[in-house]
Amino acid sequence: MLVITCPYCQEAREEEEFSYAGEAYIARPAVPEEVDDATWGDYVFHRKNPRGWHWEQWQHVAGCRKVFAVKRHTVSYEIAGSWTLADGKALYLEEQA
Amino acid sequence: MPKQGFQPFMESPLHHFKLDAEAQPRRTDGRIWCNELPHLGYAVLRGDTAEAGFAQLVEQVTGLALPLKAGAVSQGPQGVLMWTSPDEWLLVSHRQRLADWTAQLDAGFAEHKLFAQTVDSSGGLTLAWLGGTEHLTVLRHLGVYDFESIPLGHMVSTVLGKATVQVIRLDTDGVFVVFRRSFADYVWRLLRRAAQPYGFAVCQLEARSDHPLFAQLAAPRPSLILA
Ligand SMILES: [Zn+2]
Repeated sequence: MLVITCPYCQEAREEEEFSYAGEAYIARPAVPEEVDDATWGDYVFHRKNPRGWHWEQWQHVAGCRKVFAVKRHTVSYEIAGSWTLADGKALYLEEQA
Repeated sequence: MPKQGFQPFMESPLHHFKLDAEAQPRRTDGRIWCNELPHLGYAVLRGDTAEAGFAQLVEQVTGLALPLKAGAVSQGPQGVLMWTSPDEWLLVSHRQRLADWTAQLDAGFAEHKLFAQTVDSSGGLTLAWLGGTEHLTVLRHLGVYDFESIPLGHMVSTVLGKATVQVIRLDTDGVFVVFRRSFADYVWRLLRRAAQPYGFAVCQLEARSDHPLFAQLAAPRPSLILA
């Protein structure tokens, strides 16, 4: 059972209150008509599925119903933190750089 | 209107339990006392607190300050306004007042060109009061939240069993549980079953004019047959 802190409710809550909303920060090609099938296919179907730290989205469905970003370790299930999507994106981009 | 044909009428989602017939005056014993506050008015309020004039308009119309802190509840003898999300609030009062408020708020939003809305959810929600010394223990059997930690004058939105509920805690005597009409049967049976070991009784709820929610019971019940 994960304990996830909701950045909007500003409280640690049980996993039961949340619903998983997939990998975070998947960039949609800016001009879809101009990309090739492989790039579009990557965007639609391919996920990182890492063994290690993973940026993902969770929705607080039983609480404030907001979607936010969580950085979670897929092996240890450790959670490094949770942020609003905007705040998390800055950290995510910094990490990717 | 012709006598025959479609004649919609209003009944509480818990009407088939016949709670009125079962209700008794509350006594001071160790039991869990519970009943529904039927036919109240509920409205979801959406808006941006950063927008100038939004919070002021809400307070001007309802007399309740817009709560900005997570889980905070504004209360007055006219009803409650509670924080459910950074841009969403739930207003509860008796039906007539709520209808007046939503009309005034919608007019105000339009006049001041505010990107905000009200949604009347009176038909979709209901509310039960759960009291007695062990009332928080009953909730603890059903949900994952640490219900003891809810500060007075706050609410929390969480799950009881599989149903999403809002638990409003205004004093140490009991809590108000807001749930969906579609889950009402389920939530009521769940509360009743969990309370059984402590003793469960349906109590008569008095309209107390100084109380933000019990005061709403004093308003004439909306006519059972809708016009
Ligand atoms: Zn939340």
